[in-house]
Amino acid sequence: MPRAANDPGAVSSPRLGAPLGGIELRGITKTFGATVANFDVDFDLRPGEIHALLGENGAGKTTLMSILFGLVAPDEGEILLGGEPVSFASPHDALQRGIGMVHQHFMLVPKFTVAENVVLGSVSPWNMALRRAAIERSVAEASERFGMAIHPRQRIRDLPIDVQQRVEILKLLYRGARALILDEPTSTLGPAQIERLFGILRDLRESGHAVVIVTHKLAEVMQIADRVTVLKGGRKTMTVERGSFDEHSLALAMTGRELQELPPRTQVEEDRPLLEVRNLRTQDRRGHDVVAGVSFTVRAGEILGVAGVEGNGQSELVETLAGVLHPSEGEVLVDGVDVTRAHPSSLHEHGLSAIPEDRQGWGLVLDMSVAENLALAGVPEGRFTRYGLLRRRAIHSQARKLLEQYDVRPPDPDLRVGSLSGGNQQKVVLARELARQPKVLVAAQPTQGLDVGAADYVQRCLLDVRERGGAVLLVSNDLDELLKLSDSLIVLLRGRVNYEAPVAGVSIRTLALAMAGTETAKPVAEVA
Amino acid sequence: MSNFPLRVKEVAVRHESTIRSTAGTIVSVALTLGVIAAILAGLGANPWSAGKGLVSGALGNRFNIGQTVMIASLLILTGLAAAIPFSARLWNIGAEGQMYVGAIAAAGLGLELPASTPRWLLCSILVVASLAGGAVWALVPGVLKATINANEVIVSLMMTFIALELADYAITAIWPQPAAPQTRYLPPHAIFPNIWTGTLVTAGAPLALAGVIVAWLVMRRSGLGFQIRAIGLNPRAARMNGMPVGRVTVLAFVIGGAFAGLAGGINVLGINGALVSGFSGNFGYLGIAVALLARLDPLWILPSAVLFAILRVGSNGLQVQTGLSPDVGEIIVATFVILLLVFRVIRLRYAEAQSA
Repeated sequence: MPRAANDPGAVSSPRLGAPLGGIELRGITKTFGATVANFDVDFDLRPGEIHALLGENGAGKTTLMSILFGLVAPDEGEILLGGEPVSFASPHDALQRGIGMVHQHFMLVPKFTVAENVVLGSVSPWNMALRRAAIERSVAEASERFGMAIHPRQRIRDLPIDVQQRVEILKLLYRGARALILDEPTSTLGPAQIERLFGILRDLRESGHAVVIVTHKLAEVMQIADRVTVLKGGRKTMTVERGSFDEHSLALAMTGRELQELPPRTQVEEDRPLLEVRNLRTQDRRGHDVVAGVSFTVRAGEILGVAGVEGNGQSELVETLAGVLHPSEGEVLVDGVDVTRAHPSSLHEHGLSAIPEDRQGWGLVLDMSVAENLALAGVPEGRFTRYGLLRRRAIHSQARKLLEQYDVRPPDPDLRVGSLSGGNQQKVVLARELARQPKVLVAAQPTQGLDVGAADYVQRCLLDVRERGGAVLLVSNDLDELLKLSDSLIVLLRGRVNYEAPVAGVSIRTLALAMAGTETAKPVAEVA
Repeated sequence: MSNFPLRVKEVAVRHESTIRSTAGTIVSVALTLGVIAAILAGLGANPWSAGKGLVSGALGNRFNIGQTVMIASLLILTGLAAAIPFSARLWNIGAEGQMYVGAIAAAGLGLELPASTPRWLLCSILVVASLAGGAVWALVPGVLKATINANEVIVSLMMTFIALELADYAITAIWPQPAAPQTRYLPPHAIFPNIWTGTLVTAGAPLALAGVIVAWLVMRRSGLGFQIRAIGLNPRAARMNGMPVGRVTVLAFVIGGAFAGLAGGINVLGINGALVSGFSGNFGYLGIAVALLARLDPLWILPSAVLFAILRVGSNGLQVQTGLSPDVGEIIVATFVILLLVFRVIRLRYAEAQSA
C-alpha cells in the first residue's frame, strides 16, 4: 500500500519510532494553588527498563508523570531528552517525541472498533473510510508484533477491561511511542490479567522500550521493576536498582515508617449468625439477575471474604445489602431481624453499616466539610439536632474526636472533604460507619486505591470489628487481602456463589480458578 | 509538606488567588457595565445619562427608595422560593404560580372574614393564608417528584398556568371590582400598616427581611437544611446515609412555595390592597435570577434582590431621562443576568483549569 508523503498518520504500517535516548527530569517543582505537588524532583528513564514510580496517594506521582508526557508544565526544572532540553506544549507534542501515557481511566470511544480507536486523531475520517482495510491490517500487524492478540474490528464496548487496556497500549505503540507511562495499570485487573500485562511489559522492555509504572503496590514493584523511584510528600526519597531494595525498605521510604505485622487473630467466632442472606436476587435495569440467588451466613466474630472478577454481582450485592438497591426475591436478616428492602436508616438502627465501593459517589458529600460528612447519618437519625436545629458543637466535638481516633490528616473538621487524599477520605467514611458500633459491617473494596499505610490501618479496623464480636462481609479484588483477613471465603461468578470454603488451605491459585469458573480445567498462572 | 519554605510559598499562592478572584469580580462587573453601555449607545442614548437616570429613578428620592424597597421585598421572597429547592437540586420554576395562589388566598380571606376581626389577628391570618397557599401549590410538584419521579420543572410550570387562570377567575367572577382588572379592595384593617412616612413602604418589607433570616436558619442551622444541602450535593450519599430523600424533597418544595406565597400576600396586603390582574411583572421568574446571582445563599439573596429591584424600579427613571421605551429596562435586566451567568461560568472553568 503506497503511503502518501504528507500523511504522517502512517496508514500502511505503524511507525517504529526513533530509538529513544534517555529521558531526564531535573529539579521539577510544581504547585497547584496552595498545594505543592512536586518539589525539586529528579527522575530519569532509560531505554529497556521497567521503572516503578512508587508513592502513597498524594505523593505527587501523577503530577510528575503529567509533566513528563506534556499535560502539565512544570513551574521550575527541565526535561532532557537524550541530553537535549525539551519542552512539551501538549501530550500530542510528547507523543511526537515518543512519550505516551496510559491513564487509569481509559480514553477509548466505546462504540468505535479497536482499529478506529488506535488511529483516532491521527488519520482523517476520510482516510479511515477509504482505507479501512489497510488500516485494519496494519493495526492487526502491530497487535501481533507486540503479542497483544487484539482483533482490529472488535468494538471497545464488547471487550473486557484488560483487553481495553491493551488497546490503549497498542494505540501509543502504533503512534511510535518508545516510552510508556502506565498509571496504576493493575488496579482493575484480576491476577491472571496482571500476569498477562506484565508479560507484555517484559516483551516491550526486551525490544528497547522504556516503561514507567505508577503504583503504590509493593508486591508488583518487587515482581517487575528494574528500578524504583519513591516519592513522598512531593519530594523524591530515593531511586534504587533491582537487588538493592525489598518490600520493607520501599515501605519505609514511601511512608516514613515501618509496617507492623497485623495482630495475631484470636478465635472469636461464635455460633450466633449476625448476617444471614437467603436466596437473594437483584435485577439490573434491563431485568437481568445480577445477583442470582445468593445465600450465605456471617457469624459473630467472623470475616467472610467475597472474591470474584469485577462485574460478577459483588457491587450489586453490596448495594442491595446497604439498602440502595431492592432485591426482587430473597431475605436479609441482621441478628435475626428481617431487614429485606429496609431503608438505609432502618438498616443503621438494626446495626448494619456499609462502606461503599465508590466512596466519592456513595459515601461522601465532597463539597461538605469533614465534620458534616461525619454527621451525615447522625443528622437524619436525630442524633445531631435539637428542636430541628443542628447541634453544631456536638457535630464539631464528635468530628474532632473521630479525626484523632482514626488519624485523619489534616485533623481539621472544617476542611472540605473533597480536599483530603483518598486514604483520608476513606478514613472519614470508616470513622462514621464504625462510630456507630455496627453488629454487621459490609465493606466493599475498602482499601482500593489506598496507599500502604492507610490500607494497613483500614484492615486493622476491620479486624477490630471482628475482635469485638461483629460480623464483617469483605468484598475485595485484592486476593492477598482476602486471604489475610477472612475466616471464610466465597467466590461469586455470574451472580452466584460458585465456591465456598474456610480460609485455611485456600491458595490464590484455587481462588483464581474459582473466579474464572474453571475449577480444575486449565491451569492458571500462579500469582505471588 | 510541613517544611518551612513550602509553607511560605503556600501562603503566597493563597494570597495571589484571593487577589485574582477579586480582580476577576471587578473585571466581570466592568465588562458587564461596558456591554450594557454599548447597548444603550447603540439605541441612541447617552449611557452616562441613562445610568444616572436609572440610579435616580431607583434611589433619587425617598419615594423612589420606598418603591425599590418594596420590589426588593418581593424579589427576596421569590428568590428564596427558588434558592431552597434549588439547593436540593430540585428545579422549582413555579414561584410565579405559588405567588399568585398566596395572593389569592390572602385577598379572598381578607374579603370574606368578618370585619369585626381585630387587625393584628386578621393580618396574621392573612399572612399565614398566603404562606399556606404557596406551600400547597408547591406541594404538588414536590409530592409528584418524590413519589413517581415526575419532572418538577414541567409540573411546577403547569401549576403556574393553573394559578394564573385561578387568579383571573377570582378577579372577574368571585370578587370583581367594577371597571377595573382587579378584585375589590380589602377592608383597611386587613391591610399592612405603612411604616415609613412619605413612601409606600409597609410592614411587608420587614416580613421579607424576616424571611431571609428564617431561610438562613433553615438552610444553615437546621437538620432539614443540612439534608437539603446534602441531597443537592450528592443524592446517592444522602440516601446511603439514611436520609429520607422523598420527605426532604417535599419539604424543600413546600418551604420554597411558602416564601413565594408570602410574596403574593405582601403584594396584596402591603402594596396593592387588592388582587390585581398581572400584578406580578414576572417576579416569580426573576426570583430564579436573584437566587442564581446569590449562589443560592439566603444571605446573599438580600443584596441580589436589591440590585434587581434597583434595575427594575430605575428603568422608569431611565425612560424619563433618555426617552427610550420602558422595554429597554427589561432588556438591560436580561442582559445583565445573562452576562453575570456567563462570567460566572467562565470563572468557574478557569478556577477548575487552575486546580486540575
